[in-house]
Amino acid sequence: MSLQRSWYVFGRELKLSPRSPLVFFAIAMPFLITFLISSVFGSLFDVNPRLGVVDEGDSAITAAAQQLDGVDTTVVPDAGTLKARVEAHDFDAGLVLPAGFDTAVRSGETPDLQFYISGESLASTRVILAVTTIDLVRGVAGDQPPVTVVVTPVGDEDFVPISDRLLPTMVIYAVMIAALFLPAASLVDEREKRTLDAVLVTPATITDVLVGKGTFAVILATIMGVVTLALNNAFAGQPGTMTLILFIGSVMLMLMGLALGLWAKDVTTLYTAIKAGGIVIFLPVLFTLFPGLPQWIPKFVPTYYFLQPIYDIAIHGDTFADVLPEVLIAVAICIALVPLVAWVAKRSEHELAITV
Amino acid sequence: MIADNYRVTTPSNPAGIPAIDVDDIRFSYGDTLAVEDVSFTVAPGEILGFLGPNGAGKSTTIKMLTGQLSPEAGKISILGMDMPGQREKIQGRLGVCFEEKNLYLSMTGSENLKFFAKLFGVNEFAPEPLMERVGLSTRLDDRVSEYSKGMRQRLMLARSLVNTPDVLLLDEPTAALDPVSAIGVRDIIREEAARGAAVLLTTHDMHEADDLSDHVAFINQGKILTIDTPENLKLKHGTRSVRIRSRHGDDIDEQVIPLDDEGAEDRIRDAVSTEGLMTIHTEEATLEDIFVEYAGRGLT
Repeated sequence: MSLQRSWYVFGRELKLSPRSPLVFFAIAMPFLITFLISSVFGSLFDVNPRLGVVDEGDSAITAAAQQLDGVDTTVVPDAGTLKARVEAHDFDAGLVLPAGFDTAVRSGETPDLQFYISGESLASTRVILAVTTIDLVRGVAGDQPPVTVVVTPVGDEDFVPISDRLLPTMVIYAVMIAALFLPAASLVDEREKRTLDAVLVTPATITDVLVGKGTFAVILATIMGVVTLALNNAFAGQPGTMTLILFIGSVMLMLMGLALGLWAKDVTTLYTAIKAGGIVIFLPVLFTLFPGLPQWIPKFVPTYYFLQPIYDIAIHGDTFADVLPEVLIAVAICIALVPLVAWVAKRSEHELAITV
Repeated sequence: MIADNYRVTTPSNPAGIPAIDVDDIRFSYGDTLAVEDVSFTVAPGEILGFLGPNGAGKSTTIKMLTGQLSPEAGKISILGMDMPGQREKIQGRLGVCFEEKNLYLSMTGSENLKFFAKLFGVNEFAPEPLMERVGLSTRLDDRVSEYSKGMRQRLMLARSLVNTPDVLLLDEPTAALDPVSAIGVRDIIREEAARGAAVLLTTHDMHEADDLSDHVAFINQGKILTIDTPENLKLKHGTRSVRIRSRHGDDIDEQVIPLDDEGAEDRIRDAVSTEGLMTIHTEEATLEDIFVEYAGRGLT
């Protein structure tokens, strides 16, 4: 095997990628899926409502707002700046607290309170900020709420909203197209058009070709996985760990893609196999979407061992140490796939030579 | 009339090593024997025409020479190295032009050549002279998908030359070419042989084989029937004759005079001096005729 020749194959794949519809699809898919899911379910990992405050008189409301866990409060210097930033949707709402506001409220006056709402903010966010503001003002006035609200949690306390449970679906789509489809389709195309024959009568070996194609697929898949997590604010403060797991998952799917591409005789066979076998790759995603199903079943599927760690880190805030057992199994699966790919490659090379 | 073994005593390189030395190779696809005890040599600078119908074993033999298939028996030595034992080293010095136009269609002609030059480890490769040589200098940056069949064929030949090969394996290199382009390609093949490359040429075109080859090998049903120079084959198996046509009033008279017959010279002289002489043609057996004589069938 020659790393230099693999590099040339990689360079060819990279150079031709702008001309490949499949590469375009692989790049567009994370954006498309994120857009679709956001449109239907709202953004994954929604950020807190953002409140901008102009405090002209050192109001206690500002300090109270900054203490709130569920609202991100930012103090800005003047009303003009606040209005501009609300218009730009830097804040969902803006509040101007004039000098002497607290004193006026406490003395029973009803001073005007300027409250700007961003036209692009969600209705739910507007309600949250409006109610929160009224509550803060009431606190300054010393009024007691007219009722006592009794909060009783019902249902599964571990319940994860459907929008969050869709994260593995988006990740598998983003990674699978680049890591599995791309090298598989590329290999089948080269075999069908016999360009692989031309390459294999040069000093380049089938291993050089596979390493070059595989490297391109893994890099693209990892990047698209990272982009998907970034678009959905799903790094959970661990971008390095997430990237590493995405990389391992991309390698796993790439090896499956190479084996599939070497095995399939033509494009029709390849897509039939993907349609039939795709359910196996997607199985963990279904079990995440429907948590009522027995959760031991997806553990028989290789993709579980990189999708589940990503899900656990993003949703449950697990650390790398928590997900290490799954990650190690994913690495072991990758290692086990290498001799399988080598065997299929040897068989495929022979078949190619004896096919007229 | 099947030969057991053929060794052609053509000039080899100074060290006396043939560029291609094939010794009793055999290969079968399952129960079907495709190549049986085939032996031949090709010296540096020599062009060997490999002639046979479809399914004769030509492609299988070439695939064993390129290292794509390993012979079940026998030995292949290329440039003094064992194939497939030293496959990678040998492949670095091979140029292969396939019958099938297996080019990267989404790449330009120039990109195709550069990519293969890199695989061969050719540093600082410039595609322009090679593209000029095959008459494609104006299409350097066009995608191959926009090339005509003939242009693709010429690019295939150019690709086989990117590493200035010592051994050229050409499978139907003038297929799909117009007559003018075919002449150009044949000139390039001659130039490569003159440079010292050993050329193995498979073709269905008997005139091409006759025109280009120093030796021709007839192959049928996996066996080599004979190897010789085209001239020798024609001398051995054909009847040299002169066909003379002359007009007598409204009638046209035609005589065929075998040159080896007694009194042939006198008969020719008489015929030529006759009034109304129209045409004189020398005639000899074609390679196709001789192949039919050996194989009991034609090439198609």
